[in-house]
Amino acid sequence: MTDLEPGQAAAVSTAHGVDDVGETTVGEVHHHMHGVSDTSTGLSNNKLGMWLFLGSECLLFGGLISTYMLYRGRVTRGPGPDQIYDIPFTSVSSFVLLMSSLTMVLAVASANRRDVRNTKLWLTVTALLGATFVGGQVYEFTTFYREGLGYTTSLFSSSFYTLTGFHGVHVTVGIIMLLALVGMISRDRVTGERSEVVELVGLYWHFVDIVWIVIFTLVYLIPA
Amino acid sequence: MSALATVTSVPARRRAIALIGTVCALVMTACAEDAPQDTWQPEGPNAQKIHNLQWPVFAVAGLVGVIVFAAIIYEVVKFKDRGQPIPKQTHGKPALEIGLTIVPALILIGVAVPTVGTLLALAETDDTECSVNVYGQQWWWAVEYPQQDGCGGISEEFVTSGQMVIPTGTKVLISGTSNDVIHSWWVPALNGKRDMVPGRVHTLRTEADDPGIYAGQCTEFCGLSHANMKMEIVALAPDDFEAWKANQLEDYKSPEEASLAGQGEAVFIQQCSRCHTVNGLEDANGPIVSDPEQYVYSGVAPNLTNLMTRNTFAGAMFDLLTDQCRDRVWGASPEEFGDRYLEAVTPECLNEVELREWLRSAPSKKPMYTDASELGATDGRTRGMPNLALNEEQIDQLIAYLLERK
Amino acid sequence: MAIIERPADTVTSPPPLVTPSTAYGSFRRPVQAEGWRSWVFTVDHKRLGIMYGTTAVFFFVVGGVEALMIRAQLAGPEGTVLSSDVYSQMFTMHATTMIFLFAVPMATGLANYLVPLQIGARDVAFPRLNAFGYWAFLAGGIVLNLAWFLGGAADGGWFMYAPNSSVPFSPSNGIDFWILGIQITGIASLTSAINLITTVLNMRAPGMKFMRMPVFTWMVTVTQSLLLFAIPVITVALFLLMFQRTFDATFFSVEAGADPLLWQHLFWIFGHPEVYILVLPSFGIVSEVLPVFSRKPLFGYPFVVFSGIAIGFMGWGVWAHHMFASGLGPLSVAVFSISTMTIAVPTGVKIVNWTMTMWGGKLRFSTAMLFAMGLVVQFTIGGLSGVTHAVAPSDTQQTDTYYIVAHFHYVLFGGAVLGFFAGFYYWWPKIFGKCLNERLGKWNFWLMTIGMNMTFGPMHITGLQGQPRRTYQWTPERAGEGFFNIGFWNLVSSIGSFVLAVGVLLFLINVIHTHRKEPPAPLDPWDARALEWMTTNPPKEHNFDTVPTVTALDEFFHRKYQDVGEGDAHDLQRIATAEEILAEQEAKADEHIHLPSPSYWPLLLALSLPVIALGVIYGLVVSVVGGMLAIFAIFGWALEPATADDSEFDPPVDDEPSTELVTSD
Repeated sequence: MTDLEPGQAAAVSTAHGVDDVGETTVGEVHHHMHGVSDTSTGLSNNKLGMWLFLGSECLLFGGLISTYMLYRGRVTRGPGPDQIYDIPFTSVSSFVLLMSSLTMVLAVASANRRDVRNTKLWLTVTALLGATFVGGQVYEFTTFYREGLGYTTSLFSSSFYTLTGFHGVHVTVGIIMLLALVGMISRDRVTGERSEVVELVGLYWHFVDIVWIVIFTLVYLIPA
Repeated sequence: MSALATVTSVPARRRAIALIGTVCALVMTACAEDAPQDTWQPEGPNAQKIHNLQWPVFAVAGLVGVIVFAAIIYEVVKFKDRGQPIPKQTHGKPALEIGLTIVPALILIGVAVPTVGTLLALAETDDTECSVNVYGQQWWWAVEYPQQDGCGGISEEFVTSGQMVIPTGTKVLISGTSNDVIHSWWVPALNGKRDMVPGRVHTLRTEADDPGIYAGQCTEFCGLSHANMKMEIVALAPDDFEAWKANQLEDYKSPEEASLAGQGEAVFIQQCSRCHTVNGLEDANGPIVSDPEQYVYSGVAPNLTNLMTRNTFAGAMFDLLTDQCRDRVWGASPEEFGDRYLEAVTPECLNEVELREWLRSAPSKKPMYTDASELGATDGRTRGMPNLALNEEQIDQLIAYLLERK
Repeated sequence: MAIIERPADTVTSPPPLVTPSTAYGSFRRPVQAEGWRSWVFTVDHKRLGIMYGTTAVFFFVVGGVEALMIRAQLAGPEGTVLSSDVYSQMFTMHATTMIFLFAVPMATGLANYLVPLQIGARDVAFPRLNAFGYWAFLAGGIVLNLAWFLGGAADGGWFMYAPNSSVPFSPSNGIDFWILGIQITGIASLTSAINLITTVLNMRAPGMKFMRMPVFTWMVTVTQSLLLFAIPVITVALFLLMFQRTFDATFFSVEAGADPLLWQHLFWIFGHPEVYILVLPSFGIVSEVLPVFSRKPLFGYPFVVFSGIAIGFMGWGVWAHHMFASGLGPLSVAVFSISTMTIAVPTGVKIVNWTMTMWGGKLRFSTAMLFAMGLVVQFTIGGLSGVTHAVAPSDTQQTDTYYIVAHFHYVLFGGAVLGFFAGFYYWWPKIFGKCLNERLGKWNFWLMTIGMNMTFGPMHITGLQGQPRRTYQWTPERAGEGFFNIGFWNLVSSIGSFVLAVGVLLFLINVIHTHRKEPPAPLDPWDARALEWMTTNPPKEHNFDTVPTVTALDEFFHRKYQDVGEGDAHDLQRIATAEEILAEQEAKADEHIHLPSPSYWPLLLALSLPVIALGVIYGLVVSVVGGMLAIFAIFGWALEPATADDSEFDPPVDDEPSTELVTSD
């Protein structure tokens, strides 16, 4: 962790915007100030980096969604979308994921308030809700498989599983990040400004949730 | 500034002249060609429309290039460092910039309008007078004439390969697809190319002004023998086309049993007919039905019913005609061409050397996937014609038999 | 006052005050300043830039040898140098190597080295991510080329059209290696994009407004933005193909109802922005070099910048011009034909601006200048032939012939490559402390130019005369009559390619000769304009002793010269030399400069990627192991602060200078 000791504050001037955050301005000696990023845009490097990454992810999911939309009606074998989807079930798991975004917001708010206990609590709840969602996906996929929709059954099945599978992997990675963050907070091993790290994980989590809303609408709700 | 002291001065004027001279020489000598697939020698209205659009654009582009080069050569000569003081530090001239942005934009609008016009004209399908279907597969083209009123009336569907015969002055619409990977049909003298994609049917207008043979080649990378996947469009005057058509639909004439060709028929039935169809071929048990699906991954093999009425084989990779006979046909004037083409391949004109080598071992003549060790991914089916281990006697007999397929 | 130039590999700083090491024994953080460890674990953008550049040039030679083999095969009719199978692999790998392993990393390397210097920063935003990007690129390049030794390289063309790319038509593992190699280099590019964009947006020196940034930095920014959005699209395409080949998915199986054009659309939505990714950095380089050697500012800086941005945006709307013959239908073809014509406009603007920069200037024909001018000439040729393909009906005659090969080699070789070489000659003194030998440089330039035109010029002719692409042999029957037929021009092309190769060889000889024999370069050999020249040759570890405050475009030039003319009259007077400016900087040097520390984790994470990749081909167990390694590396990285803790340094030994990097005083 790079929060500086008070005695060291006066002796610091830094490489510009090095990725541990909150450094001081250039060429002169300043006191270290929390939460102030001396970057040209005012956004921290890490936050800007996360936004850029999420921008690229839009194109990733865009490509997968386009593939699905092209192939959703091509059912040479096995069941088609209208035969297999269980909208009520998927609605419930979507709601769970949506609620996890709410709890994520609460986690970020707690982190901003420096409320360590509640930060860890809400991060954990978010992870659990996310895990519930993933569990629901797994249940859904195994049910589909038993009903005759394998990965290679048809173009519809291949594109469906690939799209939702990629999303599920993203959620899982998010869960790992959330739990890792809880662990790191517990051991005070977060490098960088803690509330910002929580916020960045939150950004990622909300993005994954928004992608699900798009997928849920296009894949499940809009008839083929 | 010691680094710059080693800059040697260049005789710019001499360089410029050499450059311009070379370019002119190149352009002029290039125009002296008559390559069979030359895209600047249109022989039909569709290719002509493209050419009418293309060469003015080239001219404009060339002019722009010359202006840019002239400017640079002028600069190189006029503004070379000869010890003059630091020049005026102009930062730009917006009026000039905007002007030199608008002028190209206007030129491009001028190009865009006829472009769209030509595009739409070339996409027209309602005025079709003759429909021909084309199938690409590794590494040859199948040509199919469906039953229709067009093409002067076709009473019964028939199939050929490698050479598409059409009547001159007729708006032919090619509809094509592929039986395996993406190929592309391109006969430059008559039109641009069109990809032949499995699972889709694409159309392409084709029309030839005069009788003649027009060379083409597959132009979408399709694997090992992409370079060897060729075809020709043969245009015949309408009565010649009728004669050709009638011949294609003639009944099968079995050769005399005891003759070499008769023996060849037996060899054909035994060795070739499982993939290659000859219409009307029968043996003691009835009509021979080919089943290339079982042996070839693309599921088809060339129909050899009237092999000798065409003058190329093996995906038009090889000529059926000797060089002399080939030149006679390919170099014929439009008036003579029809008769010469309709002579078909005579025993004297047969390019026996190539055909023999092919029959001896097709894979040694054309890269293909026919070795058992390579066929795991295609369920044991070949992509191309395998080596049938024929002996010389069988080859003699087959050649005699094939010579009669016309 | 002389500037004390920093010798290449010793660190001259007082030893740090440290407590005895309490870290994890042999796994403590690498902090060596010398030796191989200082390169392998470095996070310094300058060292990484050199590593990128060296590796890219190596792959340029590899790709060049592949090209020479192609040309040897096509020198005569029905050539026997390469079998059809090997030929397919050769042209696939030539293109793949040149695009993914040479051009993109070369630009990334130059960007890595120069962008922080040009904007007045001390490093990029995410130094460890930068290191990861390099090692991942190297890993990807190795994975791609492993295929040569493990059953044959990819053989479906760099464009890898489906269904020819699926297992029945390409059973060897070559395409699998190809997919995985490009995925890995794609990850590297994506991380570079995030890094460089954040750097440019966030880490500019005070006063370095956007419209005061050098054009090279601008073009890099546009390029990286294109990469950011284009890479995910090919990532999707590659995953679909991988699932098809490895798990029998049906994405490109026509029997299941798949549309082969899906691959083409996904590929070209990536592929077209990719070609601007390839050429825009060189546009940036030329926009730096021409003004310096014309002794005038860039003509129309805002137009050059905005046309680059326009190309970046418009480049997304033209992809289907690669598919004019694919059966799209006349409406789509018309739309893309028109959009392709429009993109010629901003490109043309640049040619105007470069030409007008030289107009009225005081031109010095150094090698860098020759290469820059070469780009203007050759790219114009390539751009004009491009305009002829924008006319879709004409393109149905031109596409898939050598005419297209001519076009893109003129824009890529004549554009991207000549630009890189201009950059080499221009920035060599900055990066390595010596100017490349000018005499050898002239030979390098002329042989490359003559060779290039001899090789690709005739391809315009052979293409229009009907020679298709991607054909392992041509025949006399289709070659035409007369002496100057397709055969003749193929022979000229082949000879030209060897001339070109000699030209490239001369560059390598120049590099070695310069290293051995040339004297150190003066501080400002070209009397340059931009901020990267306001440093030592090479720059110190921390780039700037004190971060400059910027007041104008071409800040460095304005510190050296002042216009003392009155009214309309201009009179540029030199008011300071580079040495004086640097001495002033040194006198005001910051006392304590925190630099990011080297690290193991980026390398480890990068190494886990080929392990995962090999598992896809040889057994998923291996992928699981690779995955675990990746997770371990990510955790290690996340738990490690950007700057090394004091405890990670050895206590100083009496009187010996420290061999470890100083990160804090």
